[in-house]
Amino acid sequence: MTTLQLRNLAKTYFDPYAGAHVNAVHDVSLDIEEGEFVAIVGPSGCGKTTILNMIAGFIPYTGGEILLNGKAIDGPGPERGVVFQSFALFPWKTVLDNVGFGPKMRGVPKAERDRIAHEYLALAGLSHAAHRYPGELSGGMQQRVGVVRALANNPSVLLMDEPFASVDAQTRMTLQEELTRIWQERRPTVIFITHDVPEAVFLANRVVVLSKGRVLDQVGIDLPRPRVWDDLIEDDDFKRLSAEVLQMVRSA
Amino acid sequence: MSILLQGWSLYIRATHRWPGVAALIPFIPVVAVWAIIAESGLFPRVFFPGPVDVVHSFVSLTYKGILPDYLYDSLVRLAAGASIGMLLGIPLGIWIGTNRIAHRICWPVLLFFQAIGDIAWLPILLIWFGFGLSTMTFVIVYTVLFPIVLNTVLGVESVSRDLGRAARSLGASPARVLWEVTLPGALPNIITGLRNGLGYGWRALIAVEMIVGTSGIGFMMFDARRAGSVVEIMVGMIVLGLLWYIVDGWILAPIERATGRRWGLVTA
Repeated sequence: MTTLQLRNLAKTYFDPYAGAHVNAVHDVSLDIEEGEFVAIVGPSGCGKTTILNMIAGFIPYTGGEILLNGKAIDGPGPERGVVFQSFALFPWKTVLDNVGFGPKMRGVPKAERDRIAHEYLALAGLSHAAHRYPGELSGGMQQRVGVVRALANNPSVLLMDEPFASVDAQTRMTLQEELTRIWQERRPTVIFITHDVPEAVFLANRVVVLSKGRVLDQVGIDLPRPRVWDDLIEDDDFKRLSAEVLQMVRSA
Repeated sequence: MSILLQGWSLYIRATHRWPGVAALIPFIPVVAVWAIIAESGLFPRVFFPGPVDVVHSFVSLTYKGILPDYLYDSLVRLAAGASIGMLLGIPLGIWIGTNRIAHRICWPVLLFFQAIGDIAWLPILLIWFGFGLSTMTFVIVYTVLFPIVLNTVLGVESVSRDLGRAARSLGASPARVLWEVTLPGALPNIITGLRNGLGYGWRALIAVEMIVGTSGIGFMMFDARRAGSVVEIMVGMIVLGLLWYIVDGWILAPIERATGRRWGLVTA
């Protein structure tokens, strides 16, 4: 069953400085199945973040349509959880209240949303940090909070916009392994934007290569799970798939 | 040498225990120089009273009830003006900060009117409202308003766009975003604006009381001028300084620091 459909999606905006219309995205069609993990890769300026922002409802699209469970999307909504590159945690709320924010907006009573938040914090190994403020945490821990805050709201689809781009390399590998583990446990539908090809191959079931606002090609990734870097880094299939995707991105 | 070191050590321990002491000690030489000049007889006593005369006058004005009454009047006016200024300024600032068109239209106008100092309004206000409470209130509200509006706008605009987006995608309505994200995000700036506004308002109030007042610290000082009582003018000046020091240093600045510290950890 298809969860999310992009049909001939297009985004044109008027650049007042150039005095001309710019096509950021043209004619992108994609079907994303329930429980699928799709990574969208491409060089900067290829329109990948624009696509994510349109799915999230942050910016309007100018052509085609986006259907979630058959319904056209209209503005942001809790059925589409977002994880930001900037983490975007509320600095004046504790970690617990950040994770409980989605349930709070649904009108879940305090005791129940604290229970939900504790459950998700345990999933990310963050129970000890529940009563701390985001500013007191490392970047890696902040983004763990960002991920479980989105998950705690039970979205139909989780949108991740280069979520690990601003943490150090070691932490990034740990976060990637944790994300695959959480994905296997909960099976959320994920759209993951990145420019890091090995990251996309490591995480996803399918990698979509984007170029100049169009889908260039797609590659299915059937590597066995659970995936850990120690196994995959020397794995021939992983290396072959990474090289294949990298070739496409570079030719883009 | 060791006497000096011991004295220094005593000072450090005393100020660590009572931080207020550290703020008072720098005034000792100031008061001493003042006392020496007054005692030297360089100027006639009526023109240049010493600290002891001022303390006597302070005690007598307090005892007669004049000082407490006038101080009360001034503070009530400042509080009323500041409250109206906040009630108008914070919503206005949020509106301008969140609405790009409103920002384009209002910002130059705000800067223009901000540049017309509070006192510059007095001539026209005296014609419109006469010597009374309306004039006084207008000037205080006017003075308090601009720092609050301008800082609220800055605060609202400093809230990261991703925070609002995060809240929306977690199910918050635009109104909840305002309450849960925009206001707390702008709070440190709003408090800075309030602190500046109260400081300017306090100064403007004294000036206005001198011209239109029938009571208040400013009026007391100007009335003392008519009576040629330098000592009472000095009492007024010292009360103004002390009072603002207490309000700003002990109440407003700590609140500002507390919110800034917690919120300031935002994106670092």
